[in-house]
Formats: sequence, structure tokens, C-alpha cells
Amino acid sequence: MSITVLETDKLTHIYSKGTTSQVDAVRDVSLKIEQGELVGIIGHTGSGKSTLIQHFNGLLKGTSGSVYLEGKDIWKDKRNIRDVRFKVGICFQYPEYQLFEETVYKDIAYGPKNMKLPEEEIDRRVRKVISYVGLDESYLEKSPFDLSGGEKRRVAIAGVMAMEPTVLILDEPCAGLDPRGRETVLSLISSYREATGSTVLVVSHSMEDISKIATKVLVMNNSRLAYYDTVDAVFTHADELYEMGLNVPELTRLFIKLREKGYDVPADVYTVEKARQELLKLLSGRCGK
Amino acid sequence: MISDITIGQYYKENSVVHRLDPRNKIILTAVLMAMIFCCKNFLSLAVVSAVILVSIIFSKVPLKMFLKSLKSIIPIILFTALLNLFYIKGGREWSLWFLTVTEKGIYTAVFMAFRIILLIVSSSLLTYTTVPTMLTDAIERLLSPLKVFHISVHSLAMMMTLALRFIPTLIEEIERITNAQKARGADFENGSLIDRIKSLIPVLVPLFVSSFKRAYDLAFAMSCRCYTGGEGRTRMKQTSFGIKDFAADLFFAAGFAGIILLNKYFGALI
Repeated sequence: MSITVLETDKLTHIYSKGTTSQVDAVRDVSLKIEQGELVGIIGHTGSGKSTLIQHFNGLLKGTSGSVYLEGKDIWKDKRNIRDVRFKVGICFQYPEYQLFEETVYKDIAYGPKNMKLPEEEIDRRVRKVISYVGLDESYLEKSPFDLSGGEKRRVAIAGVMAMEPTVLILDEPCAGLDPRGRETVLSLISSYREATGSTVLVVSHSMEDISKIATKVLVMNNSRLAYYDTVDAVFTHADELYEMGLNVPELTRLFIKLREKGYDVPADVYTVEKARQELLKLLSGRCGK
Repeated sequence: MISDITIGQYYKENSVVHRLDPRNKIILTAVLMAMIFCCKNFLSLAVVSAVILVSIIFSKVPLKMFLKSLKSIIPIILFTALLNLFYIKGGREWSLWFLTVTEKGIYTAVFMAFRIILLIVSSSLLTYTTVPTMLTDAIERLLSPLKVFHISVHSLAMMMTLALRFIPTLIEEIERITNAQKARGADFENGSLIDRIKSLIPVLVPLFVSSFKRAYDLAFAMSCRCYTGGEGRTRMKQTSFGIKDFAADLFFAAGFAGIILLNKYFGALI
């Protein structure tokens, strides 16, 4: 179960090196992402999250350091960079602005077509991913420009899923959606992962969203990797996260406050179920006395 | 590559040239171009160069900035120079294999290349020292006599301002869409010419769609702020024609006179 798919070694990216406007976007990031994980990438605005993920499919090349996909350096042979992009699918922020075809079908098929897959295989994939994103096949013949904002977003995500990437990266997939839209997108991400068993990386600055679906959390702070650990472990650093301009979920904050008041509860509670159990335990303990 | 475009770029500095009346600067730039085209020999060209150089020194814009604006037109300069080099006949001749170069050809080539460089430098000087909004404002006022012919000068100027304002936004947008399509395996570098043109469709369609959307939003935002056109609109920053403008005009007039005299007494070199 612990096969490393994506690995970076001392990855550093400096914009406009040597000029006065030099910016260190990513500094010395070394990490290993294992097969099948759902990693939440969080960090404040400008912490280097978006720059970091663009290294994973070779849209950016690090100033120094390397990126390994399934053990191979992605920049070893420049001509293979397109294959890397098929294996590491990135869906950028506001992906609905990348739709361009006349029909939803054709737009989803754009990626697989670039992979030079046979017609039947493309057809199979298009029909499969449209169900992954919770839309029915009647949508395939519609124009993407006639859809609602949330539907466009889902079609765009489907367009990346159709390449069947080993690693799927979504940059702020919930940005600008209403609570119901967020809920839908988050649940379709986790069901996609369950159905395909692929590795998924989700960039967000909402701890609440991440805590609902992620198995691991990667925290970026000031261009550096601050934490990369399980959700529970990361949330125990609530104070440090707060200083980084991030917020732990409200439930976790409540439990940390309780601990400060001297109650014996764990600090890594972030789901309602766990909170219920812990509170019941606490209350029954007090009644027992 | 796309972010190297220097058109409409402004270099922030507080110099005499920056503070000149923008209307005056536009007229002087036009005069400068006229001067460049009037030059008939290297001596008069030297006088124009001196006028430009003095203006640059007064503007405090580093020379490096002008080299940057020249970088993108090097092919055009080379092309013109080479054409002149091989097509102009006259004077002594040198031959190598099938190529023949003449004395007059060499002079013309150098002359033409120099002329293009001066043209670019003088127009960059205008954009480096004038904020785009001031520039369009000045154009609006210079063209205002056209109102007699029922041409809406204000709308034209407003469109220019908006177009300039949105160049960086569009560049950013293009980069974003390009990255998104590259992530889906778009290939912009390889393939035949037709393949490459076709590969632009996935970038152009979303770009048009978002530009139209942006235009609607902008129009809406403008009417929300009660924009109704140029009628009765006043300016926040009033510009005035001052003593420094007069000095600049005199300096340019002297330069122009010098060129005409040099042309007359030394004749055409080419």
C-alpha cells in the first residue's frame, strides 16, 4: 500500500532570479506522496501552493531540485513531458473558463484525444467520467456554455479525469461555489478516489473542506513545507496553524478550548461523530462522579 | 515571451520630460519623427540623435530600457538593412560568389537601420514618460476639433484607455488558459503550421468568451457609476502648457533648423 508515486527532492523555485523582484515561491520542498492517498494541500494566499503543484506535471521547472513520478525524474527526457502531463492531471482554479468545444462530449474528449486514444476508448471514458461528476448522459450533447456555473465546473473536472491520470490534482475546486456546490464537488472527489483508487491532491485554504475528505494534509507556509502528515497529527498544531494565517475547523477549536479549561479531551477532533463520542465520554465520566 | 511586450509600458520617474504637457509631448514626438525622415545625410542624423539623447538624459529613463524595446524589432532592422545592402547600386563594388555589395548599398543599409532605431527609441520615450491615461487624454484633446464632423472623440479615447488597461489582464488570462490546456495535453510547439493554428482554438475560444463577459461587466460597472459619455465631463488632473514646454519646443525647433541647414549645405549622402 505504500508505493511512492510522486516525490520531490529539495525542490526550489525562484521567480525572476537575480533581479530586484526576486521571489522565492517554493523553497527546499522534499516530500513523498503515496499511492491512493487523498492529500489536502493548504496554506495562506501566496504560500506557494499553486506554484508547487505546477511542478508536479512539468508546467514549471524547478530552479533546483527534482521531481520524480513513479521513481523517474520527469525532466530526464524533455520530450516525454507530455506523457507526464497525462499521468499527472491538473485541474486549475476556475476550470470552467477553459471550456471551448461545442458540446460537453467534445470538451471532455479533448484530453483523451490528445493522448491519441482510439475512438471507442474515448467514448467509454467520456461516459464513465460524466457519471463520476454526477451528471447524466443527456448533458453530453449540450453546449458547455449553456450550463450553470456549478455544472460547468463539474464538466471541466471531468475533462481532466477523462485522461485517467495516476495522480489527479485539483486547485481550489470549491472556489466560488455555494455550500451545496462545495458539498457536491467534495463528495464527487472522494467517490472518484474510491472508484479508481488513484491518488488525489486537493489544494484549498479551507481546513473544514480538507478535513472532510483528506487522508493526509500538506501545509505550506512562506514557500516552505511546514507539515506533511495525517489529518489528526496536523490538527494538533492548531496554534502554529493559526499563526500561519490558517484556521483549524471550528470543532477542533472548541476541543482545544475545552482542553485549555482543563477538561480531558483529545485535541485532534474534527468530525461530528468523533466529537459526539468524546463529549459523551466526558459527560458520562462527570455524571459517574 | 509574451510578457516581453513593451508597448504602452511606463517608467516611473519624476523628471522634466515626465512633467511636460502630454499634448506637447505627442506633438514633439511627431516632430521628432518628421525630423528623422527629413534627414538626408549622416550629419543631420547625428543632430537628431543628439536631440533624442538629450531628451533621454532629461527623462532619467535608463538607456537599458530603450535597448529592451529595441530587442523585439531586431529582425525588422536586419531585414531592412540586408535588403538595402544588396539592392542599392552605385559607387565602388565588392563581389563574393553571387553576392555584390556596393559602397552606396552599405551607406544606405546603415542609414536605414539607424533611422528605424531612432524611430523606435523616440516613440518609446513617449510611452516611457507618459502614463497611458494621460496619453489618451491628450489624444482626446488634440483631436477635439474633429467634433465638428460629429466624431465622438471622447468615446474613441475611452476605448483606447480601456484597451491599454486590459493588455496586461489579457496576457495573464492567456497564460492561465494556455496552462490549463497544456495540462490536458495541448501541444503548441510541434506539428505542421495548420496543426499549430488549430491548437490555438482551445485558447482563443475561452479567451473570447471571458473577454465578452468582462466587457459586459465593465460596461455595467461604468453605468453604475453614472458614466454617460464625454458630455460635461471634467478632469481630475489638469495639465497646463508651462515654461518647460516652451523650452522643449524651442530646443526641438533649433534641432529641426539645424537638420534643414545641414541637408542644404552638405547635400544628400544617399
